[in-house]
Amino acid sequence: MEVFKADVAIVGAGGGGLRAAIAVAEADPTLKIALISKVYPMRSHTVAAEGGAAAVTRPDDTLDHHFNDTVGGGDWLCEQDVVEYFVAHAHEEMVQMEHWGCPWSRKDDGHVNVRAFGGMKIERTWFAADKTGFHMLHTLFQTSIKYPSIKRFDEYFCTDLMVEDGRCQGVLAIQIATGEFTLIQAKAVIIATGGAGRVFRENTNGGIVTGDGMALAYRHGVPLRDMEFMQYHPTCMPRTGLLFTEACRGEGGLLLNKDGYRYLQDYGLGPPEDKPRNKFMELGPRDRLSQAFWHEQQKGRTIDGPFGSVVNLDLRHLGEAYLRERLPQIYELAEEFMGIDPAHTPIPVVPGVHYTMGGILADGKTASSLPGLYSVGECSSVGIHGANRLGSNSLTELIVFGKVAGIEAVKFAKSVAISNPGAIQKQAEAAQARALGIVNKPGGTERLAVLRTEMAKSMEDGCGIYRLGTTMQVTCDKIDELRQRYKNLRLEDSSKVYNTEWLLGIELGYLLDVAQAVVYSAINRKESRGSHQRLDGYEQRDDVNFLKHSLAYYNGDGAPRIEYGEVKITKSKPGTRAYGAAGVKADEERKKQGAANG
Amino acid sequence: MADAEKIIEIEVLRYRPEQDKEPVWQTYKVPFTDDMSVLQGVQYIKDYLDGTVSFRWSCRMAICGSCGMMIDGKPKLSCKTFLREYYPGKLRVEALAHLPIERDLIVDAGDFVKKLESIKPYIIPKEPRTLEQGEYRQTPEQREKYEQYSSCINCMLCYAACPQYGLNPKFTGPGVLALLHRYNADSRDGGSAERLELGYADEGFWGCTAVGYCSEVCPKGVDPANAINQNKMNSAINYFTRFVTPGGAGK
Amino acid sequence: MSNRRPYVRSMDGWWKRDVYFIRYMAREVTALFVAAYAVVLLVGVLRLSQGQAAYEAWLQALKSTPSLVFHLILLATFVYHTWSWFNIMPKTMPIMFVGGKRVQPGTITGTGLAAAVVACLAVFFIVRGMHP
Repeated sequence: MEVFKADVAIVGAGGGGLRAAIAVAEADPTLKIALISKVYPMRSHTVAAEGGAAAVTRPDDTLDHHFNDTVGGGDWLCEQDVVEYFVAHAHEEMVQMEHWGCPWSRKDDGHVNVRAFGGMKIERTWFAADKTGFHMLHTLFQTSIKYPSIKRFDEYFCTDLMVEDGRCQGVLAIQIATGEFTLIQAKAVIIATGGAGRVFRENTNGGIVTGDGMALAYRHGVPLRDMEFMQYHPTCMPRTGLLFTEACRGEGGLLLNKDGYRYLQDYGLGPPEDKPRNKFMELGPRDRLSQAFWHEQQKGRTIDGPFGSVVNLDLRHLGEAYLRERLPQIYELAEEFMGIDPAHTPIPVVPGVHYTMGGILADGKTASSLPGLYSVGECSSVGIHGANRLGSNSLTELIVFGKVAGIEAVKFAKSVAISNPGAIQKQAEAAQARALGIVNKPGGTERLAVLRTEMAKSMEDGCGIYRLGTTMQVTCDKIDELRQRYKNLRLEDSSKVYNTEWLLGIELGYLLDVAQAVVYSAINRKESRGSHQRLDGYEQRDDVNFLKHSLAYYNGDGAPRIEYGEVKITKSKPGTRAYGAAGVKADEERKKQGAANG
Repeated sequence: MADAEKIIEIEVLRYRPEQDKEPVWQTYKVPFTDDMSVLQGVQYIKDYLDGTVSFRWSCRMAICGSCGMMIDGKPKLSCKTFLREYYPGKLRVEALAHLPIERDLIVDAGDFVKKLESIKPYIIPKEPRTLEQGEYRQTPEQREKYEQYSSCINCMLCYAACPQYGLNPKFTGPGVLALLHRYNADSRDGGSAERLELGYADEGFWGCTAVGYCSEVCPKGVDPANAINQNKMNSAINYFTRFVTPGGAGK
Repeated sequence: MSNRRPYVRSMDGWWKRDVYFIRYMAREVTALFVAAYAVVLLVGVLRLSQGQAAYEAWLQALKSTPSLVFHLILLATFVYHTWSWFNIMPKTMPIMFVGGKRVQPGTITGTGLAAAVVACLAVFFIVRGMHP
């Protein structure tokens, strides 16, 4: 098999991977970078992000505000020292993106504009119309072309990490066009492969968001942290799950039930006002809004649509001209996919799985427990999102921690050499045999699509917006069963050139492993916090027993081993997570407390 | 959701290089509902009828640019083309025209990516600026001068539409030339001269004969025909004045 | 050594595959008719230089039936030529702003066609006015 020798290998060429590659190239242009992606970089799912990227910008905004919004939004499950670093470096990274050509939307005076976003006290979300992820991804990809030290491996699919001498020393990848394997040796490896939303049925994610990097690290003993926290975005298109950005609400969109009533005021997010007010009503955090939908549904106050219950996202009052200027992609989505003109008709929406808060355990410098292995972006749990992510924090995360990962990988790569290439070669051959093992399997009986749909339906049932121990147990058993049945997978395609069925088969293996980590972490967290909410006696947040991170450890054929890790608290002691008028009161109490404590 | 099951016939141009001498049509009967896209139709084929059909896709919302294909002879994104528009007739899907077929509905995108890399698609700053100095100032009007050209999702539908590219693959092509123009038109950029060397060449703007089909099929309103043809006037002027001005092409 | 074998499809008959291409070819073909009319006018200039008798003979030839049919065909192609010319013209212009609003392609085409009609009418009336 072909062998490529790199200094740093980056798996995943989305926003995080590209930013890391640029950081490595700038830190030391003599280092060889292998940027490996199973799709062409501009197809990475960063491209679908719409709303914006947060950074303290306005003179009346402070790092403390952004810090408090983020930690409170995460229901105090965040690593506070990492959040402090994050908010402090956000603005300079955003300016860097602007210098690289990102077409940020502007105010009339030519300065970058910022808009309101859910759970943020003060407007600080930079945006590029409603295609921020698209513009950030293309800016990063096109800028990366400047650096000759970045060698791209487009449409190369990673099947395993090479771990030798207790360190990660490279990856094995399939060149999708030929079906041949390439061993990429590297002294440091950064995983930036994105989330795992495709374990669920209705989700906003693209087909490629299958938890590849998470599974790879997991299988090599790196724990996956806080996997039970899966974010339901409150405003998705029914059936397809396509995203209607939070910016719709930031611009003033309203959520109405079947009586045309702004129901969020019944859930501690009110009182309603004419203009959008930060952290009130439709600008509350995503988990609260999705939970409110569920309650409305229980009360029979949602609307019955052809694909189930929905509520209405009303943008009519904003007018066509404003909508076409500020939310052009939303307009297009509604018109082309649903035949709806949002300037005249409200859009039916439903919550859908959108973001994976948890991921590969990473310290504040993106390092994992495996030396030489780093992770950045949605695949990583660096500690800033906690139990619920605030919108517009994740695009910023990519560039802040993409840079950190790059710099750390450079430092590590310069301090080591590839050891034992012979042993690594043997590992690669074994991994190749395993990957080929699912093709041409005699006696296979299970159909790929059937296993995948059963998994996705079961995850939706057990790990929904509200969870019960009983249904989570059903899902645990189902996922265990599917992991066994997966061994009997029957593939029809045994060719080598662009055998996408084979790759889908390998991805299904990743999805099942990650799904198991999610549901077992969930069933063991006997409290409600952020986006993990239970209705079976554990409805309250339990800071005494569960102000801890869940850590899922791979256990081969068996269920994952769930352990717990400490949460780093610095400036913000766990308080009431309050929004709307209650939030204003809570803020004032906290200020008084802070003043009293001196 | 009870919809009486309708069946539509989808004919796919198959090509498996390891077993097919040349592409061959294969018909599948796909049950569908009114909200299903052509992409979902093809996914149904792969999931339940024939696992060997290969195609690219990801976002399902016309922003990643993966799923372009010829649908009844017209280049379209299959994720936002709907089966109901073709029913009760048959539907033919084929890999994007003017590009070599690698496998079934997958084309060789290498030429496109190489060309994209060749035009210096990044800001070459007009004036230097440190991060501490903050962002470059750019008014909404300055932004509007290039924003539409920056909306290209690299889906290559325009290459499938452009007969000049089909006849002469050396032509840089609509999408990449639109990106070239995007950077030239950005007020923060000072690198036009370098990019126009390629633009003013035969394989640059002059490879275009203003057929205009590229702009018709573009799913994002980039209007590559406009990006290219507004440069021909300057190119002609430059051709004659370069003997007068030192250094040749200028902004 | 890999099993890749990219297949390149033929471009034979490409312009017949889509009505858009047929219209494009029709547009391009009208250039031949423009060239043909230019030849007719050049012959007229030549005859003029050869004296009054030659010039009168040329004018008579123009009035023959085959010539009139030919000129009607030319007129039809010229109308299509003009129409398609102004249709593609917006593509050749940079993005323009008038009074803070973006100039739409339809405006450019409409203005061009209007100018063409005005010019044709002006020439028509001037020439008619020159006849006693």
